[in-house]
Amino acid sequence: MPTAELALPWKSQETQATMTQPAEDLNLIRRMQAGDDDAVRDLYALYGQRLYAYALRLTNDPATAEDVTQNTLVTAWRTARTFRAEGRLIAWLLGIVHHTALKAIRNNPNYLDDVAEEIISEDQPSPEEQAQVRDERRWVRQGMQSLSPEHRAVLELVFYQELSLNEAAQVLKVPVGTVKSRLSYARTHLRGVLTRTEEQ
Amino acid sequence: MNHEEQLIRYAANQLNETERAEFERHLAECADCQTDLRLWKSIADEIHASNSAVPAPIHLADSALEQIHAPSKLIRAFNSATALLRMQLLLMHNELWIGSAALMFIFLAMAFLVARVEVLHFFVPMIAAGTVTLIYGAEHDPAAELTFATPISPWKILLARLTLVSAYNVFLALCATVGLLLILPPQTLGELILGWLAPMTFLSALALLLSLWIGTSNALFISYTLWAVQYLALTSVGEWIAFPTPWLESYRRFWHEPALLFIFGFALILFALWSTGREQVQWRRSVAI
Repeated sequence: MPTAELALPWKSQETQATMTQPAEDLNLIRRMQAGDDDAVRDLYALYGQRLYAYALRLTNDPATAEDVTQNTLVTAWRTARTFRAEGRLIAWLLGIVHHTALKAIRNNPNYLDDVAEEIISEDQPSPEEQAQVRDERRWVRQGMQSLSPEHRAVLELVFYQELSLNEAAQVLKVPVGTVKSRLSYARTHLRGVLTRTEEQ
Repeated sequence: MNHEEQLIRYAANQLNETERAEFERHLAECADCQTDLRLWKSIADEIHASNSAVPAPIHLADSALEQIHAPSKLIRAFNSATALLRMQLLLMHNELWIGSAALMFIFLAMAFLVARVEVLHFFVPMIAAGTVTLIYGAEHDPAAELTFATPISPWKILLARLTLVSAYNVFLALCATVGLLLILPPQTLGELILGWLAPMTFLSALALLLSLWIGTSNALFISYTLWAVQYLALTSVGEWIAFPTPWLESYRRFWHEPALLFIFGFALILFALWSTGREQVQWRRSVAI
């Protein structure tokens, strides 16, 4: 297969630009430890989109995702002294998002199902649409919505947040083997969705 | 490392140059991996598209900083408690403060004249009980309508008023007791305070509860009578009306048991606080009628 076909168009330049050097991360952490308010603003400018995207991926609800992101910044500020520079700052932050989002989901266990059902029902194409449109991405989106938050989380961490499988495992607080098995399950599930789509 | 894992890392752009080149050679020959790559690419496309379609709100950093610098729960609770106390102080009768201070002065003067500390021990609990019967309810509250219509729980309002009045009564009694030290040795201070503190607590709690249930006048009559009976027991009147002496003795001893008085007193206060809901219901009924 020619290399040109293997180009990865989804790896946008914007994402590349938000990649920071560890020195910048350490500087941010030191400023937060020193009580510099602007460090929170800079942190958000740098990683806010990624944190919010992950929170939204887990909660499926913009208002809850906002609360989760805001609480993540507060927690990061209050626990900045506990940050160990062994891993990347983004992985540490995503770990806080994950923990906070799961807590929000646990406190309000009903809304996730409601939202997921709502999205799926909204996305159900009408017979006319079905006849006209075989949009693969539409079905991928629907397939992803039907995955559990844990499986969506793994996909998000690996394919958008650009974490290694080890880092994803640390964020999720599970063994690497679990990350792999969740990816494998997600692939099988989505492949099934796509196969059914193609058969229609 | 198996091909599945390598494929994921390849799709996520996590392979180094060597690994990448090596995997691409495999990919060119493996139809299954090509199919899966297409799937992973669709997933990655979808994730990136959906994430970029929902930009993060710009205000979250400032909201987080507000939350960070907000007062702690303890400070917020303290602030709201002091605000409640200030508000209730304005709503309560002014005569209450002047009246109890004047009575305390009179009884202190009396104690000086007869040079007996018992005067204070007798009257301090009565002053305290009298004032607490006047702090709550439509009968005494010039702003009862406002009090009951406020979103603050009635028991909190009663507790705030009870705290204010009790603190004031204790302050007055302490001042009077210190004044008595002019004619008594200083080392008796602790004993003097104990002499009125526990009975004052119980009698006030009893009077407060009764005032909530059966009105101020009845509450004052019953509580003052119960208080005075113990003194009757020490006189020949007790024998004259043929009360069983052992019962009277036990009753008198009860008023000299600080621990018991405090326990029963606080229990009665809790019951009184619970009763405020009933008072509010009665007021609403009367308004409805």
